[in-house]
Amino acid sequence: MEDKSYNPFKTAQKLFDQAAELLELDQAARDFLRHPMREYQFNIPVRMDDGSVKVFRGFRILHNDARGPGKGGIRFHPQETVDTVRALSMWMTWKCAVVDIPLGGSKGGIICDPHDLSLLEQERLCRGWVRQIARNIGPLSDIPAPDVMSNSQHMLWMLDEYEAIHGAKYPGFITGKPVGMGGSLGRVEATGYGVMITVREAMKELGINIQNTSASFQGFGNVSQYAIQLYQQMGGTPICVSCWNQEDHKAYSFQKKDGFDLKELMSVTDHFGEIDKNKAQDLGFDMLPGDAWLEQDVDLLVPSALENQITGENAGKISQKVKLIAEGANGPTTPDADIVLTDREIHVIPDFLANAGGVTCSYFEQVQSNTNYYWPKEEALGKLDLKMTNAYVDVSKFAKAKKIYMRDAAYMISVDRVAQACRSRGWV
Amino acid sequence: MTENFGKPINRLVEELRERAKELNCLYEVQETLGKPGIKTEDALNRIIAILPPGWQYPEICQSEIIFGDKVFQSSDFVKTPWGQHSDVIVQDQLAGRISVYYTEEKPELDEGPFLIEERRLINTIADQVGNFLLHQRLQDVFERKTKPDIETKAGWQVILSLLEKTDPNLLITIARKMVHHLCGSGIKEATDLLELFSSAYREDRELLEANFPYQFESDEDAIGAIDEVFKLAGKYLDEDEILTSIQQWIREDQSGFLINTLVQPGCSIPEIINALDRYQHLSTQGLELSAAREQSVRVSLIRRLLSGQKNFIDTAKCHLSIEDFNKLSSHIIFQPGSYGKLGGKSAGIFLAMEIIKKSVLNQDLLQQVKMPKTWYIISDAMFSYIEHNNLEEIIEHKYLDIGEIRQEYPYIVHVFKTSPLPPEIVKGLSMALDDFGDVPLIVRSSSLLEDQVGMSFAGKYKSLFVANQGTKEERLKSLIDAIVEVYASMYGPDPIEYRHEHNLIDHHEEMGILIQEVVGKKIGPYYFPAFAGVAFSQNEFRWSSRIKKEDGLVRIVPGLGTRAVDRLSDDYPILAAPGQPGLRVNTSLDEIVRYSPRKIDVINLEKRTFETIEIQQLLKEYGDEYPNIKQLVSVITQDHAQIPTGLGPDFEKDKLIFTFDGLFSKSPFLNLLRGVLNELQDKLNHPIDIEFAYDGDDFYLLQCRSQSYGVENIPADIPTDIPGERVLFTADRFISNGTIPNITHIVYVDPEQYSQLPTRQDMLDVGRAISRLNKILTKRKFILMGPGRWGSRGDIKLGVSVTYSDINNTAALIEVAQKRGDYTPDLSFGTHFFQDLVESSIRYIPIYPDDYGIIFNSDYLLESKNTIKDILPDFAHLEKIIRVIDVKNTSSGHVLQVLMNAEKNKAIAIITEEDETSEIKSELKSIPQTDSREDHWSWRLKSAETIASMIDPDRFGVKGFYVFGSAKNATSGPKSDLDILIHFEGSDHQEKELRIWLEGWSLSLSHINQLRTGYKTDGLLDVVIITDEEIKNRSSYAVKIGAVSDAAMPLSVGSALNK
Repeated sequence: MEDKSYNPFKTAQKLFDQAAELLELDQAARDFLRHPMREYQFNIPVRMDDGSVKVFRGFRILHNDARGPGKGGIRFHPQETVDTVRALSMWMTWKCAVVDIPLGGSKGGIICDPHDLSLLEQERLCRGWVRQIARNIGPLSDIPAPDVMSNSQHMLWMLDEYEAIHGAKYPGFITGKPVGMGGSLGRVEATGYGVMITVREAMKELGINIQNTSASFQGFGNVSQYAIQLYQQMGGTPICVSCWNQEDHKAYSFQKKDGFDLKELMSVTDHFGEIDKNKAQDLGFDMLPGDAWLEQDVDLLVPSALENQITGENAGKISQKVKLIAEGANGPTTPDADIVLTDREIHVIPDFLANAGGVTCSYFEQVQSNTNYYWPKEEALGKLDLKMTNAYVDVSKFAKAKKIYMRDAAYMISVDRVAQACRSRGWV
Repeated sequence: MTENFGKPINRLVEELRERAKELNCLYEVQETLGKPGIKTEDALNRIIAILPPGWQYPEICQSEIIFGDKVFQSSDFVKTPWGQHSDVIVQDQLAGRISVYYTEEKPELDEGPFLIEERRLINTIADQVGNFLLHQRLQDVFERKTKPDIETKAGWQVILSLLEKTDPNLLITIARKMVHHLCGSGIKEATDLLELFSSAYREDRELLEANFPYQFESDEDAIGAIDEVFKLAGKYLDEDEILTSIQQWIREDQSGFLINTLVQPGCSIPEIINALDRYQHLSTQGLELSAAREQSVRVSLIRRLLSGQKNFIDTAKCHLSIEDFNKLSSHIIFQPGSYGKLGGKSAGIFLAMEIIKKSVLNQDLLQQVKMPKTWYIISDAMFSYIEHNNLEEIIEHKYLDIGEIRQEYPYIVHVFKTSPLPPEIVKGLSMALDDFGDVPLIVRSSSLLEDQVGMSFAGKYKSLFVANQGTKEERLKSLIDAIVEVYASMYGPDPIEYRHEHNLIDHHEEMGILIQEVVGKKIGPYYFPAFAGVAFSQNEFRWSSRIKKEDGLVRIVPGLGTRAVDRLSDDYPILAAPGQPGLRVNTSLDEIVRYSPRKIDVINLEKRTFETIEIQQLLKEYGDEYPNIKQLVSVITQDHAQIPTGLGPDFEKDKLIFTFDGLFSKSPFLNLLRGVLNELQDKLNHPIDIEFAYDGDDFYLLQCRSQSYGVENIPADIPTDIPGERVLFTADRFISNGTIPNITHIVYVDPEQYSQLPTRQDMLDVGRAISRLNKILTKRKFILMGPGRWGSRGDIKLGVSVTYSDINNTAALIEVAQKRGDYTPDLSFGTHFFQDLVESSIRYIPIYPDDYGIIFNSDYLLESKNTIKDILPDFAHLEKIIRVIDVKNTSSGHVLQVLMNAEKNKAIAIITEEDETSEIKSELKSIPQTDSREDHWSWRLKSAETIASMIDPDRFGVKGFYVFGSAKNATSGPKSDLDILIHFEGSDHQEKELRIWLEGWSLSLSHINQLRTGYKTDGLLDVVIITDEEIKNRSSYAVKIGAVSDAAMPLSVGSALNK
């Protein structure tokens, strides 16, 4: 019986096949890029707090390093599968390529549930992972980073173990480190700012003066907050933002028809990015249902909360005024919605271009760590602007030239860049 | 009352001066009596002079001591009517009398013109004089012994000859004890003597078997035998042994009063406390009790003061000593003639504290545990209060109809609030307040029924915070106010309903009161502990398979513990398992932040109120003053929460949340807590829960009781005789306690089909369908069953992707771990929203269908009619994956019931008859939160079902009956209507009749609602009548029928009539 069940790796391969077809890649390049270059799977024995030993399964998969050392996170997930890690490593290859940073794609993981582990056990697990793979990864070959359920603390334990094994300091071995411990300034702003830099370029291209525009945002987390900040600095008028309310277990949209001031809204927002609904209303905000952000009469929509938010069902509710959607979140638009948006000729900046500010900043962190010289924030953000602008222009030009959808253009440019690197190296 | 406090400071100074005088007097008496070699007459003459300055009006005070035929008096002594007397007792015989007289009339006080303290003083002095006289007598004997003419007699013989003259009864007692002692030492001749002392021994112990009253013979023989006894003793025992034994027996005889007082049921609490005082006094002078007597006294004290329950006595007698009661007795407030006890809560904490203090295990750690300063009001003080105010009719109030009780309760509170406490209780409270000072207090109920093993009145009676600020008069007034409000809560509808429910209504109930200092520090205008919480020795909510039940559970919050005790919907306590401190519920930053406490309960000393304030605001303003703050909060860095560095957090800039990470990982707190829980569980022999608080310096135990189960958490009996076809599933891993009754719908996501879904989009669709079902199905009347991990986010292949709000109406979340090939998927233990499940009492059950002995009725789940097409037409394409089973329809009106028993670690889901009583239980469940919506909707829904079942469809032309709106959505408030929709096809006459018929219901329900809630409405039913045509056109309310969202719920019409 054929297994019809959902397999993320097969889905990724299918997407690649489509791009390869359009790019008319030769068979060898397709064979080479359809599968990861190297895969490591290994056991990690960990001494638990009660003295027993538990064996965990670890992975590191490098999809492609033709353009530079592999780059990708380490996931802690109880249902981690090798196919998920494969798919995600491939995704990292395209993501680095679309912003044209000299890095390849990889991904790693450990099958575990941190809920079942004490911090000490987690530390031993992190060190155990590095011990198994220390000879196969490194600042010049494959660079890990935090991902699902892993954080900067785990990264520092891993870095420490790596440095102990190799007998020297290698801050460039891993990214996602705290500032002052080899981290880069500008990291918190990077993703949100990145989104707005692409928006700025898109508006330029569409001939819209950003100062005459208004925008509505979904989510009020890190990405949204910095995106709104930069948007306001550039003269735009944010008028609506949706935000999760823990007490009511649902989201609300906070709207001020004439535009709101981020600082004012932040004054009624707690550390957790939750807007106080009563105080916001005192400030003159209207409180609307959670999905009202989508229906606003604005020029720009920035979904930066969850995946699958704009669907075939609700895409019809998008105002006629909307000209641009910038995907701050991963996969906020479903394929059904894409069809509606294309019909409406709404310009969409696809997620892996729009939110590539994060990975770009990781690259900066790596560069700084390798040289052991750290840039001021302005320098990091200036370089981010340059990278994002160029990336946007490249994709957009290509999309226009070929008359294709932005999402497809971004994908084709990435695959083409990687395939070209492989060819140049004489691999295929 | 007011004049007492006109000048509080002056009054206090005066009182202190009085106490100093009394003490001085006592010291002088002791000094005089203790002078070596002082003669009796000299001593008594001296005391005559010492006494008057110890009394309130020394200038007009004179004294008199009568001793045998001698009288000692102050100079110019005149007898007046204003005297206070105390008898001098020597060896249980009246030896004399001490009196004090005033020569002029003075205002009435406690005892004539005398103070209650003066009564104690004169009694103490009389005791001391009695001892002195006994001592003098013995000394005479010894002196005589040393004289050459009676040199031949041994010391003990001298004592005996003295006793012969002074106390022949005691002599017989001693002789009898000596005979037994001799027999016990194996001396044969003594056995013969035994018969002389107790003829019972003569007749070959026939006494024990005989069935007629035994005739005792006179003691004369015994007296004659005494000489023989001691001859024998002198022959076999050495002198020292005889002397020591005799001394011990004489002392024991002295303590006879203790036994007399304690075993007499007629002895009141004041008498018991007096006896205790006297015992304490004597024991400092070397009074010792035999082991048997000591135990008898201990048990009596436990029974009279703490609890008459056998289990409690059995445990308490192993851990309490008489001395422990001495400390307790000075903090009990009682009225004269009281026969009350301290009540469950007080007894529980008192015993727990003594166990902890005496613990040998972990001694260093446990010695740190303290108990806040506490005073107790005796339980029957409440009746003296009722009598004092002539409120007797309130006592039979509990037998009224519950509706009447509800109606009358506000009136009772009002009456109580305006009735004064008896003066002796007020005086006691005034003393307590002087002892407490102006720290905030909590007034807790401590009733006799409360806190018995297996009973949980948790939250039924009131506990009130008192800020205790201002003048003494103000403080006393607000304390009294709180006390009477707690008294009134005994007559509240909720506890009475609870007592009905548990067959306790005829049990005698009394309400003791526990007045406790609130543990805390003053910070800004606020007063609160650094943290507080509740801890359970058995963990019922395990969030990881690695946590065992014995690892315990702690719910901890910053500030007052109220937020940890109650389940909150908008905030969360921090949870930890003391036995597995490393395994935290929340590990990713996202979860840690979301489930961290945001509010804190405090006492505002300026406003004198209890307040809930925002933690962030408090930290900004007073973070630096917050005790131990470095251990309690974490700083949010870019992607994780970090314990603050040595410099401490920056309260201006840092993002701070309460995690207690430092406390758990760097302090011995969890060890201490675990030590306390284990020790108490071990010594009390049952699982316990405690309340605790920490003020920055010390750890305080506030309460200890047997682990309480809410009504919904009582371990269920697991039946074993259910036929297989009626069992839906069984489970035997990580089971908690409780019963989920009357489930009408099962939503089952088929693991096999789900895993075969080809795209991620399809899987997300399943999540959306679940979310819609969650809104349509009746709250807590359905269960969700599905594969692997509910709430999977990233990788959703093995679990439906939902958030908490998509499942928040389910009664239970069930994860099915079906084997695939050779591996069983991990279950989530609800971790993605574990705390939400805990706070809203949604049950979590993992099922491992492939385990040995587990029943999993997949036939029923896969072959019963799937109603998803009807309920959610737009998700009909998912019918293979999501099966919605209407249990009533598939099993001839039966419902599903899930029974869980943690002790047996077993759960079973069975198809069974609807359980009417569990409706009441589920209503009761929500009683602690009086404004909870739960009790408003479920009876409304039930009523709608009843009305529908009683409609005669032919008579009224009714084709369908639906309920919609708040009752169906479980959102009814106390004033809500009950919205019903009637599909009608009949004549005008029928419609008229129907409306009249329903009007009657409407008014009756309105009246019931008024009795339940106090809200008055003009009829409760909101009836909408629709016709075939409207349904066809889907116009007006007809759209509600079969609507996609918020559909009206059909009820069966006329079913009651058919029966």
